[in-house]
Amino acid sequence: MSASPPSLKVQIVRRVHDGLTLDLSMELNEEIGVVFGPSGAGKSTLLRLVAGLSRPDSGRIELGGEVLFDSDRGINAPLRRRRVGMIFQDDLLFPHLNVASNIVFGLAREPRGRRESRLSEVAALCGVEPLLDRRPETLSGGERQRVGLARALAPRPRLLLCDEPVSALDLPNRWTLLDRLKRIQAAEGLPVLYVTHSPAEAIALGTRLFLIEAGRLVAEGPPLEALAGSRQAEFLRVEGVRNVFPGKVAEQPDDQGSTRLELDGGPSLIVPRLDLPIGAPVVAEVRGDDILLAREPVVGLSARNQIEGRIEAIVPHGHEAEIVIRAGESRWLASTVATATTQMALAAGQTTHMIIKARSCRVTPVPT
Amino acid sequence: MTDDMAPLWLSLKVASCATLLVAGLGLPISLFLARVRFPGKGFAAGALVLPLVLPPTVLGYLLLQVLGKRTWFGGWLDETFGIALVFHWSGAVVASAVAAFPLFFLPARGAFEAVDPALEDAARLLGRGEASVFLSVTLPLAWRGVAAGIVLSFARALGDFGATMMVAGDIPGLTQTASLAIYDAVRAGDSARAAWLTLWISGISIAALAFVQHSLPERGRRS
Repeated sequence: MSASPPSLKVQIVRRVHDGLTLDLSMELNEEIGVVFGPSGAGKSTLLRLVAGLSRPDSGRIELGGEVLFDSDRGINAPLRRRRVGMIFQDDLLFPHLNVASNIVFGLAREPRGRRESRLSEVAALCGVEPLLDRRPETLSGGERQRVGLARALAPRPRLLLCDEPVSALDLPNRWTLLDRLKRIQAAEGLPVLYVTHSPAEAIALGTRLFLIEAGRLVAEGPPLEALAGSRQAEFLRVEGVRNVFPGKVAEQPDDQGSTRLELDGGPSLIVPRLDLPIGAPVVAEVRGDDILLAREPVVGLSARNQIEGRIEAIVPHGHEAEIVIRAGESRWLASTVATATTQMALAAGQTTHMIIKARSCRVTPVPT
Repeated sequence: MTDDMAPLWLSLKVASCATLLVAGLGLPISLFLARVRFPGKGFAAGALVLPLVLPPTVLGYLLLQVLGKRTWFGGWLDETFGIALVFHWSGAVVASAVAAFPLFFLPARGAFEAVDPALEDAARLLGRGEASVFLSVTLPLAWRGVAAGIVLSFARALGDFGATMMVAGDIPGLTQTASLAIYDAVRAGDSARAAWLTLWISGISIAALAFVQHSLPERGRRS
């Protein structure tokens, strides 16, 4: 896509144990690359090698034109010089320091004034301003991960590595953090390598997916396409695709039975009545199976939502197909049977109307 | 009165120097044994705890075999630096330091082992060098165990009798520490002097123990 050279180039071999040798090459631009695969495939090992936490048996790692590791030339940059930020499943905040001291930990060599200004910058970016004086043990899981993110971003890393950072969080916290990460990535133009074994996260987050099985890169590309063509496509059928969007309560109509949500950067969604004040943050979830598609607006329908969008892609897998639809700034996935796609003559570029019952929308309030 | 107190001052001087020696050597050794894997590690750790189980007189005897002027090491120390440890208060420092070492090493090593190495890696990823990682992450998190080790080894050095007597002797005004003076006072029938010194030594040791038991746990991190 972009003409600039890739930010990260990796070509490594590393024997992990008898049954697993990581052996792969990959390139990443200034985008979110999701490293996806079954557990034990070597995903976390890959991140540790790039970070410098462990050492490849052979190969080469290059970041922003600088060689971090080269077994032929005997180069192995120490981790403190790599300028790579990392967030972890276990947030690894320093328990003896308060939030502010945790965040500025990587800015020890900066003059005091610069340190303070960068602290307020990243605290705003990650939404942790009210927490600065708190100790890590008093924070919730979601708050801890936001502080970890702020700490990793503070020294302006050239690459952000994320090792399943949301897998210990509950659903609303998980999706608000992912959404935040996406926006930060877009704002800072930072390459991000994100490890997960959750297909929903992989599809929602990444612009590029690296599918790893048994230490090898078996597919690469836009997330849904890379997954649909692989053995992992099974999950699309079994687990179903979920559309998850953060948003806010926008209106409590007089009919008493429903609530209107305004999704972040996207359309409105009518959902069953919520006892929440206007402006309360929520996460809305709609299964791909619960979305009907119509070529024209439909009249006289009981479903409360008809959302207009544009078909971006059609990804067939087996007898089924995922239709990728853009509505506002959000991307939706609607699951259909492959024959329906051909009968309706659906094609990329067409306008379509997503029909969704209010009762098909699962809404979870975000704890504040 | 001054004469009465001299053994106590000497004890405090010897125990303080011994504690510095123990902490200075013990910090890197306990960190190393908590972090690095090497063949014979269990053996090395066992050898470092040996002074805890050996009779102090055995310890003193072994030290004499190393530090005495006629031995290889003791002779070298004497010729090269003019240092003679035997029958000198510095010998009491070495003897009580050896006896006290395990009481520092055991809690300190345990405390270092309890610090998650992943936190140290997180600090390195944030641009910190090894010394900075130790001072700003490892030591603050292990501080409780290290402080307990310092206090306990000080108390142990303060009360040492057997090893000190074997190495430094019992020379009034020179190497006669409080523990030795109490022994001499009892043998000379000076019960008042023995009681007076006992009161002081016990008071200091109990205060140290109380410090370890009460103030340190509250300062620790809750997890």
